[in-house]
Amino acid sequence: MNYVLALLVPAIFLASFVFALFKKVKLYDSFTEGMKGAIPLIISIFPYIASVTMLSLLLRESGLESKLIALLAPMFELLGVPEEIAPLIFVKPLSGSGAIAVLSDILNRYGVDSYIARCACVAYGSSETIFYIGAVYFAGLKRKKLTLALTISVVSYLLSLLLCCALCRIM
Amino acid sequence: MNTLFAIVFILSTAILLILSPDTFLSTLLAGASKSATLCLSLLATYAVWLGLMKVWEDCGISRGVSKGLKPLARRLFKTDDEETLNAVCMNLSVNLLGISGAATPYGIRAAQLLDRSDEAEYSSSMLFVLNATSIQLIPTSIIGVRVALGSAAPADILIPTLLTTVFSTVIGLILTRLLIPPKHGKKRARTEEVFFKKKGAGTQ
Repeated sequence: MNYVLALLVPAIFLASFVFALFKKVKLYDSFTEGMKGAIPLIISIFPYIASVTMLSLLLRESGLESKLIALLAPMFELLGVPEEIAPLIFVKPLSGSGAIAVLSDILNRYGVDSYIARCACVAYGSSETIFYIGAVYFAGLKRKKLTLALTISVVSYLLSLLLCCALCRIM
Repeated sequence: MNTLFAIVFILSTAILLILSPDTFLSTLLAGASKSATLCLSLLATYAVWLGLMKVWEDCGISRGVSKGLKPLARRLFKTDDEETLNAVCMNLSVNLLGISGAATPYGIRAAQLLDRSDEAEYSSSMLFVLNATSIQLIPTSIIGVRVALGSAAPADILIPTLLTTVFSTVIGLILTRLLIPPKHGKKRARTEEVFFKKKGAGTQ
């Protein structure tokens, strides 16, 4: 299974590049041009990642985090979601780069291949920054009846979290 | 996010001030340096994937995916307006390929166009729910973070992630259809679209 997945990424690249050559795309130019976009992207997300990382370290140093987790633990246990990923669950709908900071913190703390870390990865990868999207996409519109849509999105997010933790247990 | 940041920052700083004031600055610096390292590894990941995305864009794969989505979008969004459909399809296909940054401009355009349509409430909600529960084929940033931290099998979260994201999108879709039903049939929507298009062209 892992072997097949390891094949997937090189196979995607090979297929795309051969297809691009077939379409007479200037591969080198195109590849480097795309890469250029990575630099402004990183510059734009760095401040957010940095502030959220600082915040999460402050939260831990002050001892607030362990108290919060202890408070929420029974609820999470009931749902089969590991309480260690609670910070990620709260930050993700608000800020994507903030969530990356929280995610890498969780991965460092519990080991990249642990159950908790994999849960966190799937939870991050399968969800979106719901509130951010709502704010950006629908900012200037006249008819703003999105409360229901927002609720639907949050409900789907929470339901998918349950599935995510169950899947990580068996896969 | 602003409220959350303010509350948490002030609370924990106040506690640290009482318990151990000397750890405050070192905590902030540790946070900043950690994020600098993280950003470097993300830069590497994004460089690789954005390079590939550009190749996809140039050889027409992105456009192909977008075209393939059109019949589906027509049914989902109850509109026949070409311009709207184009924006919606580009938004959805870029999301599918996992380039969320590139999806935003198309998303905003699609939201504006859908807002004028007769089924604005239904179709805007649908656009929002689909974006907020986005289906992603390759979660590039996660694989990047896992590689950077030395995971033995960085890609083994691919299948659970795909299943979970499909699940959340399907739930969102069904709930939207049930709770915010489109008001009219397809024909009515079409005439309204033509009307709005003419009106829009007149004012420009």
